[in-house]
Amino acid sequence: MPLTSFGSILTFAEGFEIQDMAFYSEAVKFTESDEQTALIESFIKEGKKLIAIVQRTRRENVTEMILEPIQDFIRAPFCTEDNVCIGMTGANILETAKKLEQRSIDYYITAAVKIKALPEVGVALKLLAKKHTARLNMINTI
Amino acid sequence: MSLPVLKNYINSEWVDAQSNATGDVWNPATGKKIAIVPYGNTADVDLAVAAAKKAFPAWRKTPPLSRARYLFRLKDAFEENFEEIAQILTTEQGKVIDESRGEVRRMIENVEHATGVTTLMTGYTLEDIATGIDCYGHRQPMGVFSAIVPYNFPAMVAWWFLPYAIVAGNTYVVKPSEQVPMTQTKIMEILDEIGLPEGVVNMVHGSRDVVNAILDHPDIEGVSFVGATPTAQYIYKRCGETGKRVQALGGAKNIVAVMPTADVDDGMPSIVASFFGCSGQRCLAGSILSPVGDKTDEIIEKFVEAAKRIKVGDGLDQETGMGPVGSAAQRDKVMAYIEKGIEEGATLLLDGRDVKVDGYPDGFFVGPTIFDNVTPDMTIAREEIFGPVVSIVRCSNLEEVIDLVNTREFANATSIYTGSGNDARKFKYEVTPSMVGVNIGIAAPMSFFPFGGAGNSMYGDVKGHGQEIFQFFTDTKVVIERWF
Repeated sequence: MPLTSFGSILTFAEGFEIQDMAFYSEAVKFTESDEQTALIESFIKEGKKLIAIVQRTRRENVTEMILEPIQDFIRAPFCTEDNVCIGMTGANILETAKKLEQRSIDYYITAAVKIKALPEVGVALKLLAKKHTARLNMINTI
Repeated sequence: MSLPVLKNYINSEWVDAQSNATGDVWNPATGKKIAIVPYGNTADVDLAVAAAKKAFPAWRKTPPLSRARYLFRLKDAFEENFEEIAQILTTEQGKVIDESRGEVRRMIENVEHATGVTTLMTGYTLEDIATGIDCYGHRQPMGVFSAIVPYNFPAMVAWWFLPYAIVAGNTYVVKPSEQVPMTQTKIMEILDEIGLPEGVVNMVHGSRDVVNAILDHPDIEGVSFVGATPTAQYIYKRCGETGKRVQALGGAKNIVAVMPTADVDDGMPSIVASFFGCSGQRCLAGSILSPVGDKTDEIIEKFVEAAKRIKVGDGLDQETGMGPVGSAAQRDKVMAYIEKGIEEGATLLLDGRDVKVDGYPDGFFVGPTIFDNVTPDMTIAREEIFGPVVSIVRCSNLEEVIDLVNTREFANATSIYTGSGNDARKFKYEVTPSMVGVNIGIAAPMSFFPFGGAGNSMYGDVKGHGQEIFQFFTDTKVVIERWF
């Protein structure tokens, strides 16, 4: 399905940020070390802020230019299945987390380019990409 | 299932209308009734104005910064309820959800701008206008003001005026459009939470009776109106008869010129958005496309292709590019204009009459419609259609375009797409409309600049928002002072 508008780009992001936070909130019950628990808890805490950034970006940057259609941008490469935590090991959780974070980074970087008519939004999307990159780096250190 | 019945908001209370008359509120996408709106009468307006008048003396004495603090709280409350307002707006008006979000944003921007009252409302002084005599010009609030607002922007338009009026120390009565009263009702619910003193802001639902009661009420100092030109003329005249201040913004027939030097590919998205955004129901919407010179066929071809790609549907669907028009009556009116265009000999390049939207058989939809070979004297090149219908009037040079712009009865807005600074300067210098876009399809002034047209598009002296709005909502009292 295509992402054709300012609103659809940010609403899709809002959707996966909420979905990811739900995953981490569940996953924290299945972690296998204090280090993993601390990491996932920090993601849950930061997740609320990430959702707030996406919502604020959508709220504060709607101008007439939002109506200019966006082309050649589709959801499919950025869709992930619902991740069920039951039965997951700590390693599984980290592996899934890596995929989610990488998906977010890829999405925000791509979206920032697509939404060139709104530079302020591009800046916000790059910031989100940076935050997810930091999270991915944290996972990789464990 | 019984439908919600809306109430008036008077003296910080939700009250039933005095009148028993009601109207239906529709979801234009589904074609279903969603609420009942009371059609108030003179008695309702009397109650609202009495409450506003009673609130005025204490409110005008409240320091401007304290009044502004209510607006800061209101801005926060609007941000918290942003999505809900936008969803209600789309549900009753039909525009796509991003357009509704954009409208709510513009509403909030006016609240933000009005908080600058402590610099925007200041008067001026001059010492020694004669020996030992000083002169002061104080801006003073005047009393009760009112707004009568249209259906195409149910959230924003009242707020082009209201925040400036109240932050200047006046009190207020709003009459929302009876076609889209739910959005402003939600806004008043939010406003109720911030604890404004009783009677500072009031809302009366209704139709013509409420309008006339506002226009005739002796305790209302001034009226702000946005809507169709015949109504703007009526309001301007009637306010003149009753000695009120008035700003009455009317209709439009906006021309978008595309010069051969324009970057058509970069410009096309915003050109298309100008004509079809809000289903063409904007007073800033493009209505006539005027390609100029040897790239005309290429411009038209790209424009038609882009219009064909617009997905028509329910505005609540995030992927919808264009929603329905606001009502069944408006759809029928737009259809009649399309018939008129065909009858008068224009070439129909894209026909939106038979658009079908899956799952919405009863919606008030009209697809993008484009006429070519329209001449300036045709009805569709002269009258405001207020729908997604484009008239292409081919022009051979810039002078011809400027002449086309300046011979329309309306003079609200116009745009030029060009790569030539010389052409842009000539265009913006010579055209009559007051809002001009250069490589911008929708020349919408933000809250800190004035909004309003010329010609038959604007009756009154002071436009909406901008710095000048404080002139409308205040009287400059001049004090000449000498001490012995």
